[in-house]
Amino acid sequence: MASISLEGLSKSYGATPVVRGLSLEVREGEFVSLLGPSGCGKTTTLRMLAGLEHPDAGVIRIGGEMVAGPGLRVPPEKRGLGMVFQSYAVWPHRTVEENVAYPLSLRRLPRSEVAARVQEALRWVRLEGLATREPHALSGGQLQRVALARALVAGPRVLLLDEPLSNLDAALREELRAELAALRARLGTTMVFVTHDQGEALALSDRIAVLNRGVIEQVAPPEALYHEPATPFVAGFVGGANVLAGHVGGGAFHTPGGTRFALPPETRGGDGPATLVVRPEDVELGGDGTPLPLSARLFLGHAAEYRFPVDGTLLRAVGPRVEARAGQTLHVRFRKARLFSQL
Amino acid sequence: MSASTARTPLRWVALAAWLAPLLAFAVGPVVLLLARGLGAAGAMEGLATEVGALVNTLVVSTGAAALALALGAPLALLLFRTDLPWRRVYAALFTLPSAIPAFIWGMGWLSLASPRAGYLNRLLGEGTLDIHGPVGIAFVEGLSGLPLVLLAGGAALRRVDPALEEAARVCGASPARALLTTTLPLALPSLLSGAVMVFLMTASSFGVPYLLGVSASPPTRVLTTRIYELVLRADEGLGRASALALVLLLLTPVALLGTWALGRAGRVRLSAGKGLGSRPFALGRAQAWASGAVGLCCAVFVLLPLAALLLTSLQRGFGARLAWEELTLAHWSGVLWEPRTLRATGLSLLLATGAGALVCALGLAAALLQRAFRRLGAGVEALAVWPYAVPGTVLALALLLAFSRDWRFILVERVAFVLALAHTPWLLLVAYAGKYLALGTRNGAEALAQLDPSLAEAARVSGAGPARAFRDATLPLLRPALLAAFVLTFLACATEITMSVLLVPAGSEVLGKLLFDLQSYADPAAAAVLACAFVALVVAGQVVLALLGRRAAEAR
Repeated sequence: MASISLEGLSKSYGATPVVRGLSLEVREGEFVSLLGPSGCGKTTTLRMLAGLEHPDAGVIRIGGEMVAGPGLRVPPEKRGLGMVFQSYAVWPHRTVEENVAYPLSLRRLPRSEVAARVQEALRWVRLEGLATREPHALSGGQLQRVALARALVAGPRVLLLDEPLSNLDAALREELRAELAALRARLGTTMVFVTHDQGEALALSDRIAVLNRGVIEQVAPPEALYHEPATPFVAGFVGGANVLAGHVGGGAFHTPGGTRFALPPETRGGDGPATLVVRPEDVELGGDGTPLPLSARLFLGHAAEYRFPVDGTLLRAVGPRVEARAGQTLHVRFRKARLFSQL
Repeated sequence: MSASTARTPLRWVALAAWLAPLLAFAVGPVVLLLARGLGAAGAMEGLATEVGALVNTLVVSTGAAALALALGAPLALLLFRTDLPWRRVYAALFTLPSAIPAFIWGMGWLSLASPRAGYLNRLLGEGTLDIHGPVGIAFVEGLSGLPLVLLAGGAALRRVDPALEEAARVCGASPARALLTTTLPLALPSLLSGAVMVFLMTASSFGVPYLLGVSASPPTRVLTTRIYELVLRADEGLGRASALALVLLLLTPVALLGTWALGRAGRVRLSAGKGLGSRPFALGRAQAWASGAVGLCCAVFVLLPLAALLLTSLQRGFGARLAWEELTLAHWSGVLWEPRTLRATGLSLLLATGAGALVCALGLAAALLQRAFRRLGAGVEALAVWPYAVPGTVLALALLLAFSRDWRFILVERVAFVLALAHTPWLLLVAYAGKYLALGTRNGAEALAQLDPSLAEAARVSGAGPARAFRDATLPLLRPALLAAFVLTFLACATEITMSVLLVPAGSEVLGKLLFDLQSYADPAAAAVLACAFVALVVAGQVVLALLGRRAAEAR
């Protein structure tokens, strides 16, 4: 178990910057997610933490000890980490047992101790019965458990998880997510989890760092992130909120195309150019709102989604079923909105 | 993982260590030969005879390519796209012509169709068939190249998206019409590129034209056999041989350019994914006819020559009466236990093992370098694969000339070493390893490309250093591919004839040279025994390869 500190990390591939001056502190035993769309630099950040990539600039410390920095580069095998790869990376020429025993065999432990610890690790991931299986006889979920056991068996200071659930089907993903949470509660290992799935991040993390184009937009606990997004990007990515550009004047929001939305009285922010963020569930239909043509209605089961074209994008509302057909004009009102003044 | 090794100068050291032997033993000698050939070409008189050799080479190679295409295209369709019974067995049997050296097929056809004593002529009447001359050479080479067209066509047919054919069906085409108007045109570039390979193979082959051309009346000379004759004349012939080698070498890039263009045209239109397993075309009532035709082809073109060789090896003397009491095992015991054969076998196996090991090591290194240097990597591959395209006669001549004298290197003051390769078996090892390096490189690079880099990264994070991670995670997964490269190289070297004939030093013997000598100068029956042994070796090797392939497929 160890803390992690990233200071001003930068990394480019050729002329393309991937990570730009990223800083992040992870406390001992904390579970932190790196969340963002593909290409935002989250996997690169994790790989730099693992030592598989070297930052162009910046410093990485694990447990207070510098592992990467100007003139210093501790190779991955000397960092004392565990890592689970997106592709599982379970060695096909070794049995389950041999895969899990590998990190221990490199540490020259007595054979009896290796066997005992492999058994324990397999018990953690509920694979006790499959120790002698060959990997090609395992399912995707089982392979991911082998990878998890292998990453944990040597008692790593930090466990790195690179989209470990994204190759699994929905039901398995749910199951493994629950197990990951249970394991974490049991072992208390510091974990850094890379994902593009906001649901996973919200469910598992102590804190989430939202990345966009190589920089951190916000670091916060899941609830704070969801309710108090610091930027329109975070609001859009984490809550699936509507994001509209325009300007504020006279208690209302005006889009460049001339659509006017009344703002709820408690909305904070002064007049001038601004970005408006509204969650779909905060968009109400009916009453005295702005009249907009409905372009589509999607049935979601517990509710319905309504889509309105506004200035070339779509304004989405989620709410109870209303009889309406595409083309019909409905009135739209915001229950709650958030304004970000534009710089 | 590449990033960790990418910036270190280590990779440049590795590149230099890999390049040095390749430049010294393959590129350098050929460049020297080219320079010499250019010099000699200007001062050449009596060009007429040499032009004849060039014309013969072109005619024979074109004929062989045409035959391989004419037989290979319908066979590919029948074997890979229809419900022909026993198609897998046929597909396996039809790979034999390329696996067994062409020289042996030439021997087989000589037993069958030499004008007087050939078995077929004895059935049909003396002199009906004559395998000697340009037509015979093209015939034997075309058959021996048949698998190149067949396999290229088969691969393409499997890659053609079945939806294309189904779309034609929905548009109203009959099954046969859909096959002929959509799938066949798409596979055509691959079939043609296979035919170009047959052209090149024939142009650079030496054994068959020698066997069927030089002793014919009038003799048919092609570039390779002409070079051989000139080399035997030594000094005054060497300049002229170099000039001819230059011409022969120029055929390769021209033909390869053609293949590349065809391949590119073909790739654009083929689906990149794996074979989607289109439904085999039902032959219906034509099945009996198709079955009979394919069976006859297989029997006549593959099994008959081998049977003829076996018969020749068992007859008291070639040309003797065909009767039970004329059969004997005397040749077998005579040839196989003769000290000369045993010595040749020993040296051949040693050389083939050495070359196989070198090819695996250098090929793996080439594959790794290719990955470490992204853009330069293509150059590394080209350099490693290139000697394979150089005709054996040319490569052997280049080595012969470059190392005909000793090279003295002074390392430090008074510490010198002499590279004396001339007239030693080492030159053969160099030739074999250089020529077949492509097998190791291709196999290694393909296997490496299929490996997920996270497998090695997982070992690094688990606590293994770069070398340990390579040994534990990468190398075991490359092993089947490298083993396959070893077996292929071993078989090719153990049965190699073209380069062996030119490079075997006086006083020693390898199998290929022994076979060539027995057939050309001494004793066709003894040669047939040796040829049968070659065939057995090749078939055993193919079985090993098939098993390796199955194991590799299971591990994935």
